[in-house]
Amino acid sequence: MEQLYKKRWIGYLVFGLSVFLLFCLCFESYIKPPVLVSWLGRWHPLILHFPIVLLAVAVFTSFTQKKVAALLLITATLTALITAISGFLLGLDESQKGDLLFWHQWLGAGVALFAALWYWLETLNYGQHIGTKTLQIILIFLVAITGHYGGSITHGENFLDMPKDKSYAKIPDNPLIYEHIVDRILEQNCVSCHNPNKQKGELVVTSLKDLIKGGENGSSIHAGNPDKSVLLNRLYLPKEDKEHMPPEGKKQLSTTEIEIIKEWISLGASDTLRLNDLKTNQPLAKLVTKMMSPNQLEKWSVLPIVQDSTIQRLESDYVTIRRVFGNTNALSINMYTPPTYNPDLILRLNAIRNNIIELDLSGLPIEAKEIEFVASCTNLESLEIDKTAITDHDIKALNTLTKLKSLKVSETEIGDKSTAVLSNFKNLKNLFIYETNISQNGIDQLQGNNPELRIISGISEELRAAFIQTDSIKKEQ
Amino acid sequence: MEEKISKLESPLKINRRHFFSQLSTGIGSLALGSLLIPDLLSGGAPKAMPNQPLGIPHFAPKAKRIIYLFQAGAPSHIETFDPKPTLIKRMGEDLPDSVRNGQRLTGMSSEQAKFPLMPSAVKYKQYGKSGAWVSDYFPHIGKVADEICFVKSMHTDAINHDPAITFFQTGTQQSGRPSMGSWMSYGLGNENKNLPNFVVLTSKGKGISQGLYSKLWSSGFLDSKHQGVLMRSSKDAVLYLNDPDGLSRSDKRHLLDHVSSLNKIHHVETGDNEIESRIAQYEMAYRMQMSVPDVMDIKKEPQHIIDLYGEDSQVPGTFAANALQARRLAEQGVRFIQLYHQGWDQHANLPNDMAGQAKDVDQASAALIMDLKQRGMLEDTLVVWGGEFGRTNYVQGESFDPKNFGRDHHPRAFSIWMAGGGIKPGISYGQTDEFGYNVVKDPVHVHDFHATIMHAMGLNHEQLTFKDQGRRFRLTDVAGNVINDILT
Repeated sequence: MEQLYKKRWIGYLVFGLSVFLLFCLCFESYIKPPVLVSWLGRWHPLILHFPIVLLAVAVFTSFTQKKVAALLLITATLTALITAISGFLLGLDESQKGDLLFWHQWLGAGVALFAALWYWLETLNYGQHIGTKTLQIILIFLVAITGHYGGSITHGENFLDMPKDKSYAKIPDNPLIYEHIVDRILEQNCVSCHNPNKQKGELVVTSLKDLIKGGENGSSIHAGNPDKSVLLNRLYLPKEDKEHMPPEGKKQLSTTEIEIIKEWISLGASDTLRLNDLKTNQPLAKLVTKMMSPNQLEKWSVLPIVQDSTIQRLESDYVTIRRVFGNTNALSINMYTPPTYNPDLILRLNAIRNNIIELDLSGLPIEAKEIEFVASCTNLESLEIDKTAITDHDIKALNTLTKLKSLKVSETEIGDKSTAVLSNFKNLKNLFIYETNISQNGIDQLQGNNPELRIISGISEELRAAFIQTDSIKKEQ
Repeated sequence: MEEKISKLESPLKINRRHFFSQLSTGIGSLALGSLLIPDLLSGGAPKAMPNQPLGIPHFAPKAKRIIYLFQAGAPSHIETFDPKPTLIKRMGEDLPDSVRNGQRLTGMSSEQAKFPLMPSAVKYKQYGKSGAWVSDYFPHIGKVADEICFVKSMHTDAINHDPAITFFQTGTQQSGRPSMGSWMSYGLGNENKNLPNFVVLTSKGKGISQGLYSKLWSSGFLDSKHQGVLMRSSKDAVLYLNDPDGLSRSDKRHLLDHVSSLNKIHHVETGDNEIESRIAQYEMAYRMQMSVPDVMDIKKEPQHIIDLYGEDSQVPGTFAANALQARRLAEQGVRFIQLYHQGWDQHANLPNDMAGQAKDVDQASAALIMDLKQRGMLEDTLVVWGGEFGRTNYVQGESFDPKNFGRDHHPRAFSIWMAGGGIKPGISYGQTDEFGYNVVKDPVHVHDFHATIMHAMGLNHEQLTFKDQGRRFRLTDVAGNVINDILT
């Protein structure tokens, strides 16, 4: 095997490649390789695995077996040199080298050259010399560090960090649209590939200046003109398209996030714009407020725990209690008219009153005590007390339900006196008052106080008339 | 040969070998399972838990109940919701082979030499803010078009009624699997314990009818308590529900208690799950004795509601009466209400017959939507209207008479509509080509339809499974994508 060391041409090859590598490194800025040659650089991520393993095995055998197989060392050295050269060619593509890439390049070159040096020492029979052994140890460290930097370039600098809770800081009140919203979206979805250390498509998105500067496809955003903004175009492309961003397999942006970026660009892509500068009915304001409001599931995760056994105990033939979904502690309760009504069936739900999110008591002969109970269910989001005997007085008692989103009081005796109380439900989105004593005036007042509220008060007269008239299709017999 | 232990058999029937092998598999699975349970509150798309308890939705549902207005016989999409001006231009021309593309023909039209195109028998109008196209057969539905999502790109595999309706109801063309309503009942449980979870109401129009079978609402291999209950329109809504003369309610109660204790002894001996089902059904029937007469009594409805649905709604057995009934059942918490209206199979005499059919269902379907909306029930009730396939754009038979023609079956493209819980109102989804023959944009297969409906009800269609005959079945079988574009 040692005869291999005597083969001249191998030595010349190693020497030649080392010189070429040094030449490339020294004259980097003057080199412009032909297209096919620079394409060879793309093979770097493939070939690099060989020298890593082969060098590791070579060092291992050198320490354990007291000699290294010549073929092994030669292959390791040659692949190391070819890897370093191809890596260099690949690195030529990047116009601006980040820190990581700079160190990776030079340490990688170091690996290749030290390997060549080791080969030379072996040919001179200094394989077991203490100096060569030290060289081998240094080589292993170089391989490790070079490899680590290389991995960081491809996978992101934080790749090996312990997975930490990905919760981002809460968005502050009156946020700056660029800094707190748009930048946050870009950070969550784009920065892993478009940062100074890894500039895919030569684009960096970590600052507004870089966004405007753009990358190999030109400027990524065009202030005031969403249609011309390449960033948006890529987001809107269908997922199957090669140019769609983020790439398939990575976390995609939600439609809300894409809309926010579009609106921000169309308003001038400014970095001084704040939420309060916008009018409340502007789409961007609505989207940002929606993004800032806490996730539904998170709200329900702070509810007290309720056991299945409790639910089973409180349920009955006419009272259905179920979790809204899965194993959440948010409960939805529905009661149907029993042959003999017993208020206790409702009142004993007191034990779980804080878990009740939806409550349907329609059609039941409920009275003051039951209303009192309902008023104590402060987490209630949807309440149905239609077709009951409640009055304006009872509605007043329900003003404790601040989280109420939907309220059905159809077919009851409530009247205009309740409009003031109803206006005070700040979270109310849907109100059903069909067949009540609330006059058109009362409805208008309610709508005026709460323009966002959807009020269903029955079918409009003209629609009803249109339904009832004989229709135009004659049934020919 | 040892018998494979199925889930239905009693745990006492296990033998030593199986016990030990299952024990080790169980412990191994526990270990693996500890790696697999995902964080429920991880945000992002809702995911069902791997060991999802039954009777609870997998994620927060938008709709709590479904009213499915099934138009049996297959209404022609060309005369209902899909206007095709090209057919008017090319009236009488032969259907080009490039469009037909080898579509198989039924035995009824395979002998035809030519396939002359026939445009719609009535004109179309656009309605509402959404500008939805609705034919003149359905003026009332047009008036509520802003609440409706029209899906015009439905397609199916079956070309004849029985396999096609079975496909829509059970997810496969062969009978034997549980129906949609049974799957919903299995996955979501009972809302009102006094009424069945799945109710079926049928009506017949004067057009050509095809049969309906009780397999369409059977529970297949699921527990028989998930079966659909057919409520008739005559004096006894449910046959044999009432006690015989001379038996009082308290006597019935004693009878049931004693029979149930005997049944329970049998259950302990054999471990047969059907016994439990049967006990539950007896109890349900007992409660239904009180609740059904009340719910079926449509005379209690105020006059303005009766006017809304039309005078037919007072005539038991008509579609309008069933629609009104459906609303009452929905109010009482019935999970899945299916209406069938037969008579849409217009192989001949389409212009006349469709007018009659449309008149049967038009006002009541639209009234149902308006009624649900004013009661605030439209947001959590999903209303679906549609048939089992479409009809051909060419006439069936040798004569070409615009006043009296028929259309054959067409599975490759048809329209349905959906409204209510979780569905985006006022949109049209999908498109067919200018001939109304092929789907060109956003196709929706029956499996996709099932997946989407289940999603609106808070169920992950891939997770709701039942193991039978050695493999897990689900409503969507091995296919189905949720169509997110029509969901809110």
